[in-house]
Amino acid sequence: MAATRDITSLKQLVLGRKDVQDLIDEEIELPPDLMTINMGPSHPAMHGTVRIVLTVDGETIVKGDVQPGYLHRCFEKESEYATYTQVFPYTDRLNYVSPMLNNVGWAMAVEKLMGLTDQIPKRAEYIRVIVGEISRITDHLTCIGASAMELGAFAVFLFFLKAREWLYELLEKVSGARLTHSYVRIGGVVKDLPEGFCDELSYNLDQVAKVIVEVEGLLNANKIFRDRMAGIGKLTREEAIATGCVGPIARAAGVDYDVRKDYPYSVYPELEFDVPVGTTGDCLDRYLIRMEELKQSMRILRQCIAQIPGGSVMVDDHRVALPPKRDTYNTIESMIRHFKHIVDGIRVPAGEAYTFIEGGNGELGFYVAADGTGRPYKAYVRSPSFVHLSTAEKLITGHFIADVVPIFGMINMIGGECDK
Amino acid sequence: MTVVGTPPAPPAAPPPLAPNTTTVTLTIDGQPVTVPKGTNVLEAAKELGIDIPAFCYHPGLPIVAQCRQCLVAVEKNPKLQPSCQQVCGEGMVVHTQDKQSTLARKQMLEFTLLNHPIDCPICDKAGECTLQKLYFEADNEDSRVDVPKVEKAKVVDLGPTVVLDQERCILCSRCIRTCDVVAGEHQLEFAHRGEHEVLTTAPGAQLDNPYSLNTVDVCPVGALTAKDFRFTMRAWELEATPTVCNGCATGCNVELHHKDERAWRIVPRHNPAVNKYWMCDEGRFTYHDLREQRLAGAIVDGLPAGWDRAIAYAAQRITAALKDNGLAVALSALAGNEDNFALAQLAKSWGLTRVFVGALAPIPSRADGRLRVADVNPNTAGVAEICRALGLEVTTDVTGVKCLVMLGDTLDVEVTGIELIAIAAHERGPVIKAKAALPCADWAERAGTITNNQGHVQRQHAAFPPLGHAIPAWEAVVRLAQATSVKMSFTHVREVFVEMTNTVPAWKGSPWVREARPLQLRFAGSRG
Amino acid sequence: MSQKVLDALKATHGSGVDHTESQFGDDIAWVKREALLDIAIWLKTDPSMLFDAPVFCTAIDRLDWRPVGVPPSQHWNESKPRFEVAYQLRSQKHRHRVRIKIAVAEHDPRCPSLSGVWPAFNWQERETFDMYGIQFENHPDLRRIYMYEEFVGYPLRKDYPKEKRQPLVRRDDLPINPIKAGHQETK
Repeated sequence: MAATRDITSLKQLVLGRKDVQDLIDEEIELPPDLMTINMGPSHPAMHGTVRIVLTVDGETIVKGDVQPGYLHRCFEKESEYATYTQVFPYTDRLNYVSPMLNNVGWAMAVEKLMGLTDQIPKRAEYIRVIVGEISRITDHLTCIGASAMELGAFAVFLFFLKAREWLYELLEKVSGARLTHSYVRIGGVVKDLPEGFCDELSYNLDQVAKVIVEVEGLLNANKIFRDRMAGIGKLTREEAIATGCVGPIARAAGVDYDVRKDYPYSVYPELEFDVPVGTTGDCLDRYLIRMEELKQSMRILRQCIAQIPGGSVMVDDHRVALPPKRDTYNTIESMIRHFKHIVDGIRVPAGEAYTFIEGGNGELGFYVAADGTGRPYKAYVRSPSFVHLSTAEKLITGHFIADVVPIFGMINMIGGECDK
Repeated sequence: MTVVGTPPAPPAAPPPLAPNTTTVTLTIDGQPVTVPKGTNVLEAAKELGIDIPAFCYHPGLPIVAQCRQCLVAVEKNPKLQPSCQQVCGEGMVVHTQDKQSTLARKQMLEFTLLNHPIDCPICDKAGECTLQKLYFEADNEDSRVDVPKVEKAKVVDLGPTVVLDQERCILCSRCIRTCDVVAGEHQLEFAHRGEHEVLTTAPGAQLDNPYSLNTVDVCPVGALTAKDFRFTMRAWELEATPTVCNGCATGCNVELHHKDERAWRIVPRHNPAVNKYWMCDEGRFTYHDLREQRLAGAIVDGLPAGWDRAIAYAAQRITAALKDNGLAVALSALAGNEDNFALAQLAKSWGLTRVFVGALAPIPSRADGRLRVADVNPNTAGVAEICRALGLEVTTDVTGVKCLVMLGDTLDVEVTGIELIAIAAHERGPVIKAKAALPCADWAERAGTITNNQGHVQRQHAAFPPLGHAIPAWEAVVRLAQATSVKMSFTHVREVFVEMTNTVPAWKGSPWVREARPLQLRFAGSRG
Repeated sequence: MSQKVLDALKATHGSGVDHTESQFGDDIAWVKREALLDIAIWLKTDPSMLFDAPVFCTAIDRLDWRPVGVPPSQHWNESKPRFEVAYQLRSQKHRHRVRIKIAVAEHDPRCPSLSGVWPAFNWQERETFDMYGIQFENHPDLRRIYMYEEFVGYPLRKDYPKEKRQPLVRRDDLPINPIKAGHQETK
């Protein structure tokens, strides 16, 4: 039977669709349905694999279901089967842009359980602060650089990564690896700083300061950058506290909380530095705070270089320190001690404690339960990125899809730390 | 998965001490403890969680107080007392952490380590060595020696099973006492004096008693090593699973040490009712059999087959034999209670009233009044109990049997001309000629119970999953049941156990023990 | 040292608090499950407490708790509760910290959810559920967070073997539109 064989129905028949010019007026209006699109886990802006299932109305986000866990590598389970010293490489891979800080956090957690916190040699504490602050600088450089690149400022990314590479080279001289250092040990650090380190660090800090000035000139007064960052992803002070935000994000919202100032540890009481606190809680404030923290970290580093004392870098306690190799191979006592350290691990008396430091993203804590043997019974990481990511759902709601990029970038969600 | 149910009953209160036992109360490190009269201070301290270091003390051996490592300060006593020999007295006050005791401990360890060779990298005991453990926990001082160490013989063949390294020996005499007490034969003794004192065999004797490898267990250092285990595996890589030896009806409690699903050695576990602290040498070698001629996949008519085909074929043969009244079932005294129970229940469902029992022949010369007995089947008593409870008669008469479903690979009846359906772990003996062979788990892979000759129902834990396509034997029985339209719906061995303890009156009320997770030896502290 | 927090807690909620302790400078209050929500709201709102900042929520599985150097009676046995849920809280104004612990038995692994009091615990309780199987009552969205939905078991429990394998699953059965289809039920 011949149906109406006009061109429109033929197209419908053959191609299964109508073209726009064949639609009648009622059909041309955009459908009112919400659309679900998937952002990630493999996405250039989803740093470290996070998936957001966005439900959008046009360009505006109605709901975002943030799904972490794609980088879960079972840190806690593996720690229960490793000795305390063997956990250090695992901590490197938590916040992998500031690995030294994680190392320091874990070492301090175990030292608190053993009662060694006050016995760490001064030089070791200064070295920990030096490498920790260098790691903090690399964390902020990566965060700002990557976020700027995603907003289109590619040159900023290259400048900051160049600066970051100088610092990674320094840390490589100290520990042997660019990123996965495992440099800190329970009781101190594994070996002393290399010759001439402080002078090199001083020189590199000057160079980094110049790069920061360049980047500030490129971004701070940049209309495109400011328009994309200002007023986006606001958090009020009460919201920031109630959702557990810490670090630069909380400080941007006006929460004056920095572990180094409020619960001082290590040699931070002997160092002078300021903690920048923001007002509006949006992405621009977070960026400005991170830039200022870069300068404050450099200020700390210069003081450390001037004040660092001599001495040993490992506490002189046979319960935690490995014996020198010469003794190990020539006396049975040191042989046994070395053996037991490596095979059984450092014996930590039964108990539990929560130890926290100021990581790159805020309060990084280790909740460790020990049972008297050489391995942890439970090693929980209170990762700031995980907590901050939980605020992302609320922050992106109501904004455009394009705003997910600066919000996500300024949260500085490091996948390794978030997913553990 | 939430399972909301009734909370577990609290554990029964410990039985009150027998009426004529009196107790004493003493104070150790400021904490009071009450112990039965006659306990030594070292054991009393263990009740409080205080580990006093000791070398020569062993709870199963006579006390000699030879090593002087366990010295503690007892008030009103001018000199330090060895806590292993010091009997607890009422009102005694003991200090283990005071300056005098800790110094004595360090000094004794220093003496012991003076001539100890730096053998840790090549010593078998490394990782489970008491000397390493005590040094690390009680001493941890640097060496003050600047003269060469005394040299002694390094590889002395003591007998068919044990090798001695005289330099490592710390002269604690545990091995000498072990031979005397456990084996009843004096085969080891000390010779010479002072720094030349060495362990050696008694004149005219070799270390060849059937309990010789217990000396390797009790040796606190790597002086005595087993030829069977020497240089094969590092102790800290092993995982220990508690189980029960499958070698004979005594059922010594053992630990199977394994790594990567392969067993490396067997050592005894403490059970005061069954084997105390010891086991015989033959039992230790039973782990070798776990990998011999294993049946890893189902076999039908001599060719490999999948499970489904094998079960279907077996079911078909069984149904045919049932019609002719030619079906028989053989339980196994080498298989676990649950496996036997499931098969016995299935036999009853098929309408059988008599079963065969496959067992190894007894070896009368083995019975020596100590741990070894003549009956080399681990579960004779269990099978007997099950048959009695289900009303099955044990027979050896094969007339009229056309098809025999047998558990295990041992059967001492004439089976030529009979179709065999075997649920076995090893492909040997009658299983080679079986029409259908279904692979099942061997004793080390079995989670279940066996009953020893004293009637103790002892739990075996699975060390690793069954090899290849094998499944636990009771599960194979369930599949056979379902294929022959018999209602049997067990999904976990605990369910079989519960059904079994409800059916067998002698075992009613026995609790099911939670599956033990293999404990990696490196994290167990030091053994021995 | 926030001993006065513990004292105030015992004074106002005496019956809900089992006992308090202090380890290595951390103050811990063991709280009964039924009293948890009231205590939590009081801790957040009371002017002398003002615990407005949540720190973490996690659980400990005591199945293998056999510590060295303590009497065997303190080891875990079947009559003791298997899990402990721990909440750590911080006060931005008063700068004190406290840890609240709740004993949870294996056969009845429920605990009231505190995500209504402090929003940060929403995800952290999901994580504790994912890893340990603790069911948080009145949680708005209790589903797995790290593991995929089809995962069987609770990985951080001590009887979950580290080497256990899980099958890979296809994901084209997920709903297209989460608002229309609603979230999947968790097993």
